[in-house]
Amino acid sequence: MAETVVVGTARPGRFATVLIVTGSVILAVVALAAILAPLLTGWGPTEIDPLGTLVPPGPGHPLGTDANGMDVWSRLLHAGRLDLGIAVAGVAVAVVAGTALGLVAGYLGGWVDDVLMRVVDVFQAFPTFILALAVAALVGNGTGNLIAVIAAVNAPAYARLVRAEVRTVRESAFVAAAVTSGASTFGVVWRHVLPNSLTPVRVIAPLNAGWAMLTLAGLSFLGLGVTVPAAEWGAMISLGSPDVVAGRWWTSVPPGLVLLICVLGFSLLGEGLQERAEAKRR
Amino acid sequence: MSPVDPDLLSIEDLSVVIRRPGREVAALSGVSLRVGRGEVVGLVGESGGGKSMVARSIVGLLPGGSHATGAVRFEGDDVLRMDAGALRRHRGHGAAICFQNPRGALSPTRTVGRQLTDRLTTHRRLTEAEARQAAEEQFAAVGIRSPRRRLGAYPHELSGGMAQRVMISLATGCAPGLLIADEPTTGLDVTLTKEILRQFRHAADADGRGVLLISHDLASVAGVCDRVVVLYAGTVVESGPAARVLGRPAHPYTRALLRSVPDVDGRAVVATPGAMPLLTAAPRECPFAPRCAHATAECTADRPSSRPVPGAADDWTLACFHPRTDELAVSEPAETPERVTAAAETVLEVDDAHVVYRSRFGKGGHAALRGVSLRVAAGETLGVVGESGCGKSTLAKLLLGLVPPARGDVKVAGARMSDLRGRELRQLRTRVQMVFQDPIGSLSPRRTVADAIGEPLRALGLPAAQRAERVEAVVDRLELDRSMLTRHPHELSGGQAQRVCIARALAGEPDVLVFDEPTSALDVTVQAQILEVIAGVVRDPTRGSVFISHDLATVRGFADRVIVLYLGRIVEEGPVEEVFGNPRHPYTRALLASAPSLGAGFAGPKVTLTDDLDDTEADATGCPLAARCPFADDRCRAEEQELRSYGAARAACRRVPEIPDLLKGSDIRV
Ligand SMILES: Nc1ncnc2c1ncn2[C@@H]1O[C@H](COP(=O)(O)OP(=O)(O)OP(=O)(O)O)[C@@H](O)[C@H]1O
Ligand code: SF4
Ligand code: SF4
Ligand SMILES: [Mg+2]
Repeated sequence: MAETVVVGTARPGRFATVLIVTGSVILAVVALAAILAPLLTGWGPTEIDPLGTLVPPGPGHPLGTDANGMDVWSRLLHAGRLDLGIAVAGVAVAVVAGTALGLVAGYLGGWVDDVLMRVVDVFQAFPTFILALAVAALVGNGTGNLIAVIAAVNAPAYARLVRAEVRTVRESAFVAAAVTSGASTFGVVWRHVLPNSLTPVRVIAPLNAGWAMLTLAGLSFLGLGVTVPAAEWGAMISLGSPDVVAGRWWTSVPPGLVLLICVLGFSLLGEGLQERAEAKRR
Repeated sequence: MSPVDPDLLSIEDLSVVIRRPGREVAALSGVSLRVGRGEVVGLVGESGGGKSMVARSIVGLLPGGSHATGAVRFEGDDVLRMDAGALRRHRGHGAAICFQNPRGALSPTRTVGRQLTDRLTTHRRLTEAEARQAAEEQFAAVGIRSPRRRLGAYPHELSGGMAQRVMISLATGCAPGLLIADEPTTGLDVTLTKEILRQFRHAADADGRGVLLISHDLASVAGVCDRVVVLYAGTVVESGPAARVLGRPAHPYTRALLRSVPDVDGRAVVATPGAMPLLTAAPRECPFAPRCAHATAECTADRPSSRPVPGAADDWTLACFHPRTDELAVSEPAETPERVTAAAETVLEVDDAHVVYRSRFGKGGHAALRGVSLRVAAGETLGVVGESGCGKSTLAKLLLGLVPPARGDVKVAGARMSDLRGRELRQLRTRVQMVFQDPIGSLSPRRTVADAIGEPLRALGLPAAQRAERVEAVVDRLELDRSMLTRHPHELSGGQAQRVCIARALAGEPDVLVFDEPTSALDVTVQAQILEVIAGVVRDPTRGSVFISHDLATVRGFADRVIVLYLGRIVEEGPVEEVFGNPRHPYTRALLASAPSLGAGFAGPKVTLTDDLDDTEADATGCPLAARCPFADDRCRAEEQELRSYGAARAACRRVPEIPDLLKGSDIRV
């Protein structure tokens, strides 16, 4: 009886699923905590406890209070609304705007392409954070403006990504087939080019949302983000960092950790999607 | 031929099952075959039959999750059970593979010379200088012109044929005992195919290597192989001397395969319905039974084992309970389609069209078409043939309005394309529809079949309900199951996808259908099925068709008239029987002579062109063929050639009247 020779299997699909599920669970937990914040704490995010500032963690305040006498646990929970909200909304706007630009540039080509891509080049010549600083200083703070800042600094990357994809998709036989079927330019782009050019966007967007959170926290840390008493992790870290030296860790370490966890969640999700896209291509 | 040593490669009862979560594929079930030194063995059969799996098992590259039993003995050692070190030595010196897609297998960022010398220095331990010398000799040996210059070329700078030669030199460079070629000529035109296959024959005859030639192109294989092994659904159904198996096959599947291929001698193609099953376990019955016309109860009760054919002297084996012994009736030519009456109205007219692809930087450009004129009448099919790079696909794009003519004009149903803009142009475009070479690639990956077929109707402004009705009607006409309508392209087989593409082309009832190599990406028996569908479609008296192919045999079966393109010019045109039966132009003669054939092939005296197509010649004055034509003289090199009438055909060669005498003279078979 001849024995069977077995060749080992790699399971890229399985690994991708683990990454995607882990990332999604992390993000879901944080988002849920932010949404359900009023149910998880008795304190409002900007409510001041008249009995004390910098109270250490204990029965009344699970994570103590900060220098203004606000409950850290409550602020931690509520801050998720602003941080996640602005990051996700900003990236969403960036995706839509960048994709539209990339589609137009990539499909039309010629001078339209040249002009749009030179503008993109200018934006991309600066490091993202420096650019964000400049734009934020220009437009001022406030939720809407912050979304605009995040969108403005990220859109160029999507434009470039989508344009490159469109340039290849444009040459494919199915686009030629659609054109010869008499479809209008808009029809070709909307029904055939766009849906087939979004794979890289799907992969990059989650990773991008993670970076956007860091950008936002950075801006707030420097005082260019949300307006002060509003609960936001970057602002909390900024306000609490002097306390660490005095041994009062609870005002700045928890928001830092949560920020880290969120970025990790987005990264895992993005990596997982990338892994899955590659496994499919193989 | 050197004496055959039976002990080079011997595969014994090899079975491979690939186990993946949720999926199990019995890729090979009890395959046995041998390749001796100095022997060329052809491995033929349809896609998914297990040809590539055999190749992979020989070099120890089975995919992850494979469970293999049996043995793959190479010079006595079992490849399946080699350790990593032995396997590495085996892959370098023992067996080497030439892959199907040479460009994909060559690294794009390194010169081809570098890639070859790297191999020589690692595997043969040559010094850098010795390796360069050896590399140059290798390139010359596989017929690469000016080898020293080509060593410095990057893969994208080489033509398809040249890249395939580089691949062969890479594979033979380390002097392996066995050369495996997986579909080495797919996508190459006839003249190149012939040349590349000659290289493999040469490797066996001159260097005593064994060669395993994997191909679905039976006619090409027939010419160079000593023996042939036919695979079906992971089993060997027939094997034996090439002349026997391809000349007088006894297994119903081999016979079906042979009848599926068009031939230049113009015989009828018989399609076999159905498709190869995807097996999840080794079959317990004859795997061909569901498609076999001779199947009996015995065939589904038990699996026929491979046995020598009784009475046959050579090692001719067969796995069938009811072998066929009668002659394969292939000689009767296909019924000639009715000639179109001259009165039929013209649906497509091209007048002196030139197409120039501008280079993006700098001035100038590449002239792909240089003054092509043609007309197609309703009910008529025009065939377009020529080597790759001669402008066939550019012509198709021109007809569809995908490239603008630099000069000249295209008229569809009487309307000039260049006169129209916007909506009117889009409406005119729906009057010309194309069926593309790669059916799956020409369907939008994220849109359903129903969407794809409805696309032209959408442009006509039909409301959704009527669209759905028309889509269903055309789907029924092409005998596609209506359940296909909700599927996406990746859920279709090649044959189904091509039916969908034909359905899309027909949906808007166009005046002209253009087929650009519609079957060359498909499997042999599927090709025959699709050709049958196309034959039904082009017979429609209200529509004209243009059928483009580098495969002369396929064109012969369809077209009423043919044009022969060379470097963007028409060199010959006329009724199909006239052009194929009595070619006037030396180029047409050469094309016909190099077309592979399972039958007698082209009967007249053969003309062989010197060298490969090289499009730098296009800009020279005089006859564009002069550099390759065996009849060229100084006047040919000086004078432009125009189409002149000879009988019912027209040809652009001043020496046509003399050629019969020139051919009689001495052996012009260069
Ligand atoms: N990596 C893989 N994983 C799982 N199944 C595979 C893999 N490669 C091939 N198969 C399956 O094994 C069978 C044999 O495939 P193989 O590629 O050898 O066929 P082939 O005759 O070479 O076809 P083609 O002419 O398309 O190259 C098919 O059923 C195929 O689906
Ligand atoms: S064994 Fe039976 S079913 Fe199979 S090929 Fe022979 S006759 Fe046909
Ligand atoms: S014109 Fe001269 S070179 Fe050209 S095909 Fe005729 S014989 Fe050959
Ligand atoms: Mg294969």
